[in-house]
Amino acid sequence: MIGCYDFCGHYEWTFEWLREMGGDELVKQYWDEAIHQDSQRHAGEMIVNEGIEGMKKYWAHTLEEEAAGFICTSSDKFYRIDMHACPSKGFLIQNGLEQYRDYCDHCIGWIGPLMKRAGFVIDHQHNHCGQCWWEMRRTEDAAVPATRPADDVRLRADWKMPGAMIDSYVHATNVDQKEVLPPEA
Amino acid sequence: MNALPYQDTKPVGAAGFYTAINATFRFIQGRFGADGLRRYWEDIGTRYYRPVSDRWTAGGLAAVADYWRTFFAAEPGSDVSVTDAADHVEVEVRTCPMIAHLREQSREIVPCFCQHCYFVSEAIGRPAGVTVRVEGGGGSCRQRFYLAASAPAAQTLDAIKEVQS
Repeated sequence: MIGCYDFCGHYEWTFEWLREMGGDELVKQYWDEAIHQDSQRHAGEMIVNEGIEGMKKYWAHTLEEEAAGFICTSSDKFYRIDMHACPSKGFLIQNGLEQYRDYCDHCIGWIGPLMKRAGFVIDHQHNHCGQCWWEMRRTEDAAVPATRPADDVRLRADWKMPGAMIDSYVHATNVDQKEVLPPEA
Repeated sequence: MNALPYQDTKPVGAAGFYTAINATFRFIQGRFGADGLRRYWEDIGTRYYRPVSDRWTAGGLAAVADYWRTFFAAEPGSDVSVTDAADHVEVEVRTCPMIAHLREQSREIVPCFCQHCYFVSEAIGRPAGVTVRVEGGGGSCRQRFYLAASAPAAQTLDAIKEVQS
């Protein structure tokens, strides 16, 4: 049986298997169709129907179940996650597993199309070291996410690890909207 | 050495991931058909689970039993016993945790879902000279692991039930 204990390991392995079978486009279709529209359809139902309230419900349950190190903040305008210890990327790092070129892309790969359907856009960065932040706002809201002194993952000493690039998304809903920033940026 | 090659910080996995495994099978079957899905299962057994093959090669059937005991202890909701018989290891799955979770969540399960246990385990076992026979499915089954040299008649897929959602 393929199990859930090491799920992130074979999930990441599957990305590269799909890329070998059908290129990057197939991987993107997988994140959208299999993860967003099928596996995580309950997330879509909550977020499309309830907006920010749905995000709070979905991620409160999911991140607790996965034993993530995170802080969520929200208002009536935005929903934000500061992830300082991603259990998923952490599992891969701990076990030396890296088949696909950027595992972290899978999150915006399925959350991006979901947010587009729900009428939201995403500001997001990840550092490939198990840390990231996300801020979701209504599509028509052009506000720029402010630094949050109390819990902003970008203010941690380990946010910019030597040599680690920062992948950055601004008001995005698609994994292809990535800008790669050097560590010193 | 731990029987599981990949270690997590939490003792039991998150059942929420079971829906992604089922969805992955559906996606691959939709794109590549039954043969493509079997190729995926063969490849994941041969490549991703290669460290399991290595453990079975080194430890024989005792390592096979140790693996499945440790494996199911980390799968939430499983009711499984693993027995060392004279010439094989018997894994009796009274409650398959994945099928049980998918049903609880009212998910449509890929009908040939239970075949993955045969194809993945067979691919893991092949380098170690271990082969599997699966009987049942759809939420409970019996899996017997033999050394290939002393295995009974070949597996027939008719012995593995299709899953009713």
